[in-house]
This record gives sequence, C-alpha cells and structure tokens, in this order.
Amino acid sequence: MTIDTAQEAAPPVSKFSVRTVLHNAGIGLALLALIIFFSVFTEHFLTPNNITNILTQITINLILAVGMTFVILIGGIDLSVGSVMAFAAVVAGKAITLPGFGPAEAIALAIVAATLTGVLCGVLNGAISAYWALPSFIITLGMLNIARGAALQVSNAQTIYSFPYAFEEFGSAMIYGVPVVFLVALVLVFIAWFVLNFTVFGRLIYGIGNNAEAVRLAGHSVYRYKIAAFTICGLTAGIAAIVYMARLNISSPIAGIGFELNAIAAVIIGGTSLSGGRGSVIGTLLGAFIIGVLANGLILIGLSDFMRQMITGVVIIVAVILDYYRAKYAST
Amino acid sequence: MAAPLAAVASAAPDMPFLSVLGLKKYFGGVKALDGVSFSLEEGEVHALVGENGAGKSTLIKILSGVFPHDAGDVSLAGEPYRPSSPHEAKGHGVQVVHQEFNLLDHLTIAENISIEQMPKTRFGLLDRTEMNRRARRALDAIGLTDINVAQPVSSLGIAHRQLVEIVRALQSKSRILILDEPTATLTERETKRLFDIVAGIKADGVTVVFVSHHLDEVFAICDRVTVFRNGKTIATDLIAETTPEGVVQRMVGRRLAAELDAQQAHTPGKSALRIDNLVTQANSGETGVSLDLKAGEIVGIAGLVGAGRTEILRGIFGIDPIRNGKLYRDGREIRFRGPKDAIAAGIGFVTEDRKDEGLILDMPIAANMSLASLKAVSKSGLLQLASETRRARDGGAKLKLKYGKTSDAVSSLSGGNQQKVVLAKWLARQPKVLLLDEPTRGVDVGAKAEIYAILKDLARDGVALLVVSSEMPELMTLADRILVLAEHQIQGELQRPDFSEENILKLAYGQTPEAAGETQ
Repeated sequence: MTIDTAQEAAPPVSKFSVRTVLHNAGIGLALLALIIFFSVFTEHFLTPNNITNILTQITINLILAVGMTFVILIGGIDLSVGSVMAFAAVVAGKAITLPGFGPAEAIALAIVAATLTGVLCGVLNGAISAYWALPSFIITLGMLNIARGAALQVSNAQTIYSFPYAFEEFGSAMIYGVPVVFLVALVLVFIAWFVLNFTVFGRLIYGIGNNAEAVRLAGHSVYRYKIAAFTICGLTAGIAAIVYMARLNISSPIAGIGFELNAIAAVIIGGTSLSGGRGSVIGTLLGAFIIGVLANGLILIGLSDFMRQMITGVVIIVAVILDYYRAKYAST
Repeated sequence: MAAPLAAVASAAPDMPFLSVLGLKKYFGGVKALDGVSFSLEEGEVHALVGENGAGKSTLIKILSGVFPHDAGDVSLAGEPYRPSSPHEAKGHGVQVVHQEFNLLDHLTIAENISIEQMPKTRFGLLDRTEMNRRARRALDAIGLTDINVAQPVSSLGIAHRQLVEIVRALQSKSRILILDEPTATLTERETKRLFDIVAGIKADGVTVVFVSHHLDEVFAICDRVTVFRNGKTIATDLIAETTPEGVVQRMVGRRLAAELDAQQAHTPGKSALRIDNLVTQANSGETGVSLDLKAGEIVGIAGLVGAGRTEILRGIFGIDPIRNGKLYRDGREIRFRGPKDAIAAGIGFVTEDRKDEGLILDMPIAANMSLASLKAVSKSGLLQLASETRRARDGGAKLKLKYGKTSDAVSSLSGGNQQKVVLAKWLARQPKVLLLDEPTRGVDVGAKAEIYAILKDLARDGVALLVVSSEMPELMTLADRILVLAEHQIQGELQRPDFSEENILKLAYGQTPEAAGETQ
C-alpha cells in the first residue's frame, strides 16, 4: 500500500481534505485523458462549436444530477426525476400558454409552476419513504409512473408549444460561446457545493448517510433532512424542466424518459457512494462531463449510438469498482 | 490454498507451536506493529494485554489472514505461516472470534452457527433438522438451554450474540482459537460460562489466545501473558510468576495514579431527574421503575443482561415510547417526544454501542464532537469551521484525547479515545444530566481510569450521572449508590458501605432483599 492510499482514510466531509482532492483529481484526470484522446483522434472535437454543443448537451443531466447527489448522499435514490421533469414541463407549458398574460408574466408563471410541481413530487417522495422507513427505490419507482401518467393526463398526451419569444431566446443565449443555461447549471453546482460543505444542513446530510441513528440520538430530526434531500431533487427536476422548455421551445409529456439513469450515472461516476455518506457535488460535475464528452466524442469518432451506450455502461461499472477499492483502502 | 490439517507436520518438541519474530506492519507512514515477538505452546491459554492501539488487534488480523505483515517471521508448527486470506488461515486451523459482530442478523441462530458448513441431505438440499440439532447441541453444551435456535439472531441481546459467535467458531476444528475481547459485552454469569468453555477446549488440546482488558480474567484462566505497548511486545510472563499490578506496570510503563479517592464526602443537591413508575414499550414490567437522581450524584444501575437497564435510559431519553409513568426534570413534570426534547432539557446519553449509535466513524473528530451542539458552531445555518476546530481542540485537551488532527476520521482512534469523543460530544452541551450505558466497554485500563476521573469531576461540578454497567468494580468505583435491576424491576438499592459484588449479585438474581442492603 502506498502513502497515498493510506491518506485516503481522511474524512470525506471537507472539500479540502486530501482524500477528496486526490479523488476528484483522479476523475479530472480521466476526463482530461478522454478530452486528449478525442482531440487527437477526431478533427472536430476541440472546436468552439463542438464545445458549445457538449455544454448544451450535458446541462439538463447536470442539473438533475446535482439534486440526485443530495439524495444519494443520504443513502437514497430517486428514480422519478425524468418523469417529474416531464410533468413539471407540461404543467409549466399549460401555465405559459394561458391567455391574457404578457410574456414576462407568463414566463414567471411557468417558472413558479415548474418548480412547485417538482418540489411537490420531491416532498411526497421524501415524506413517504421517510415516514414509513420504506426504500426510496420503490417509492420513487411509483412516483416515476405517477408523474409520467400525470404529464400525459394534464397535456392530453399532446405536445404544448408556441411559448413567448423571450423564453426561447434565454434557451439559446450564449456568453462567449457558453450557453446561458449551462451557466445556470454551474451556479446550481456552486450552491450545492457551498451548502454541502459549509452549512449545518450539509453536515447532517453527510452524517445521515453515514449513521442516521447517531444523528438522531444527537437530537436532529432525520426525517426532516431526508424529506429535504428529496425536495431538493424534485426542485432540480423542476429547474431542468424550465431549461428543457427554453431549449426546445416545446413541452412534451414523453420528455425525459431514462434521464434518471443518466443523472444517477453522473453521480456514481463522480465517486459518490451509493450507500451514502461519501462523495461530492464537484465529482458529480466531472461525472456529468465524462458522460457528455464520451457521448459526443464516440459519435464523432464514428461509433454508433448503440456502441456509445454500451461504453457508457462499462464506464459506470468501472466507476463502481473503483469506489469499492476506495472504500476498502479507506477502512484498513 | 489451504493445506489440510493432517498434511502439516507436527512441531518438533523443543519448538514453540506458533512463533512470531520481529513482526512489523505499517499503514502508510504509521507503524501499527514495530517489532512483535512471542510464541504459543500447544494447548496453553495465552493472554495478550495492552492498551487500546498497542497492536493486539493488528497482530490478530495478521495471524487470521486479514492482511499480510511487512517484515518479520511467523511459523506455525515449524512451517512458515503467511495466510493470504481468512479462509486460508481457517484451513490451517486458526480461528478468530472478533470484537465486531460478524453474525447475520436476519438468519436464525442455527443458520448462523452452521454458516460455514451447512449440513446437507442425500439430495444436496439443506438439512434443516440436522442444522437445528447441531445448534441445539452446541448451545446446550454451554448452558444456553433456554434459547430457541430457530429464532433470528436479531432477537438476541448483545451478550447472547457474543456467545453465539463463539459457538460458531467452535463448530470447525481449530488448533488455535483467538478470542478478541470476548467478555467485553458479557455479564459475570456469562463470563463464567465462557471460562468453562475455554477450559473445555483447552482440555481438547486447542491453543487459546485470549485478549482482554480484564486482568482478573487473565489471571483466572491464562497460563502466560504477553504485554503489548506502542506496537511492541514488552514481555511474556508466566501467570504463576507475576501479579496483576506487575502486568499493569508493564502495560503503561509507569505506575498508575493511585486509585481514585472514592470516598470523598459530598452532598448531593436537589433532584435533577426523577422518574415515577416508568414503563416503556420495550419493557414488560408492570409497576415500572422509579428513581430520583440528584444533582452532583452518580447513581449506578446494575443487573444482568436483559434486566431492562438500557431500556430505562432509552425511555428517559425519549428513544423508546413511554407506556406509563412520569418524568420530572428539576422537579417539573415533562414529556419527551424524542431525543431532541431530552437534549433540550439538558440531558445527554452516552450510548452502549459507539459504532452504531454514538459516532459517525468516517467523519472527522471535530464533526463528531459538534454533532449535538451544531448551534454553537454555526451562525444562521452556516458552519463556523474555525470555531468548531477550536472547540474540538479544547474538548480534546480536557479529556486528554490522543489524536493527530481534529480533521482525522474518528475511526482512526483507539476504542478508549473514541469513547472520549462520545463524551466530548455531550460535554460540549454542558448537560445537567448525563446518562451513560457501559461507559468503558472495550476501553483499556489507562483510559478507563481517565474516564472515571472525568465522570467524578462532572459530578463534583453538579452534573447528575446515571451509569449502567455490567462491570461491578466499575459501579463500585464510580457510584454513590447502586440500584440493582432484575426483570425490569428495581430489586434493591445499595449504599456505599454495603457495596460488594456479592450483595449486587444476590439482588440481581432476585434473592430475598433482606440478605443485602435496604429495599426501596
């Protein structure tokens, strides 16, 4: 065993701990290797246009993965985010197309509608699984179906379109080639990073993931923090819905199918432990990039989308195997 | 892989059965073992003693194949011995009963006992009848006749689980059986039972390695004792030729501070916590338990495992719902809906199981210490990390905590120091009432004395302490008076002059109270 692995026994809480830094550096190196690989073997990978493309493509997954990080850190999982996103988009689509509002009011209404819908679904997920101490895997699987059904019901299975022009503009706006919606996602990453590392709330999220009983006996309401984690996840699904609407200028009730799995993959590739208590949202950011760069680069290199999917699967499995070794060396 | 037992040549007569020479083990830059040498004779009971962190557990893990050593020689029966996995160590006949529980909670007792070698029928199916019969025979052999082998392990108390674990290790033929602090969770009665088991396997020619913090146990059943200090072996002595005091001196390398002046005069203050006929959901008693704990007083609760001692503490702290009875804090009646309310009322609870209930092992020392007082180290929800670190350093200094940095994970500390972190977590709140459940379980002699001194200081400062313990000497050292529990009822109360193990035991076994001390 080398000195490096021994130092991995350092705690996971502070972002500045040796272990977290080393660990994120490892994922960062993997990402860098991918970028170099694709830059060498394809012509168009490292062009401004393609970089803009990648940033646009990973935005929604990154937003969903930020919320998912909270849920996975407390040892839960949320399978409903893709459906909830579609549901929130449809509700917001109905709101934004209500007659009698100016563009500004309509957009504000849509934002409120989408976030409230997401939050509501998140609260339900959290409250039900926390109150009856049921596995969130099952509860959110139920919510996956409920939200999808609700989206289809509310929209009558029709795609909603013709949104205000300003909304569309926000979806395609760029600052120096960086999509504004990606900046929104980055701000969310920053907020999550701050909350997880510098607030009592974040401390207890890690604590609950490690040992919920010890946290409860220290006088904290584990129940409340669990609900909060799922609520945050629902909220990010609502925000993702707005970004999705602004980018495509439609609300489709069949949007977001399978998005939950990509979000979970980003969190896991980013090194957050599925059993909770260990990980970081910076890792999630890198994980989302790895998935996005792989998807983009493999297609540029000429592989089929099916091959891309297979390779993404391999990366997820490798990430979990690496996590196994990290946990093993941390405990000896 | 594992060599069959018969294939290993038996040791030459002048050679020790197991010999360990100059063993070293490093974790990164940390020396866990720094020159360990000792030997085992066939059929002896050999004690390993030393403070927590002295290297006993590391040695055991090397011998049982959990991880390899970095330098030194180990030979078993004359052959070089370097197991690469616990499975291989078992193949050589080296069995370990670990401190941590390795039982499968949801399987039955019988399934757990047979887990390494499930009996099969002619058709290769699981032979449940034979499995249950084996388990029954094994439990009867150690006197646990009242336990149903078909019930899940999760229904057992912590002491019984330990015994089941020992029984499981005895299922396969072993040549060396290593017991790592087997008595830490046992009451005196079960410890006695364990000694009988050890005597039995010794008579069968098995070599037993016995790790314990209890020197009276070491002197009761061992032939030789090897003392560890700071990753080195200090000496091996014949039990017949040494004294407990001599062993302790070797362990700490200095004379222990004279035993605590136990009899300091002190007048308890007003009632800090009173319970009237408390009956919790976890307890089957009808009339419940009543006691009155005064400020500055240490009250001990003695009793056998299963007598309902922990349940009282859990009931007071609001963990188990209260079925009946009243609770008074400083004379005012109160009701707790959960630990949160109890903590707000100035109560702290040092739980029995620090790994499951007391600590967040992977998190830093500082974060664990502030877990119950996060308001004090934060401003409107934002952590003041500098102030948290400062408070952790202060808290650590007060309790003489031995640690590297406050940002180290608690899991890097020895048992005694982990327990001090649990204490520090509650002391950070300056509690008025402190409930303690087995406060020195798995803690070495040196740290034990320090913890006693801390608790006595707290009482002197007016804190009311309620201490549950299975170690009678501990209660007799600490407590101003001892309540003895049996079957969820207080059988009697002993004042200092009446303290004796005999009196406590009489009450614990439910004998006529007149025989010992006054009744309630």
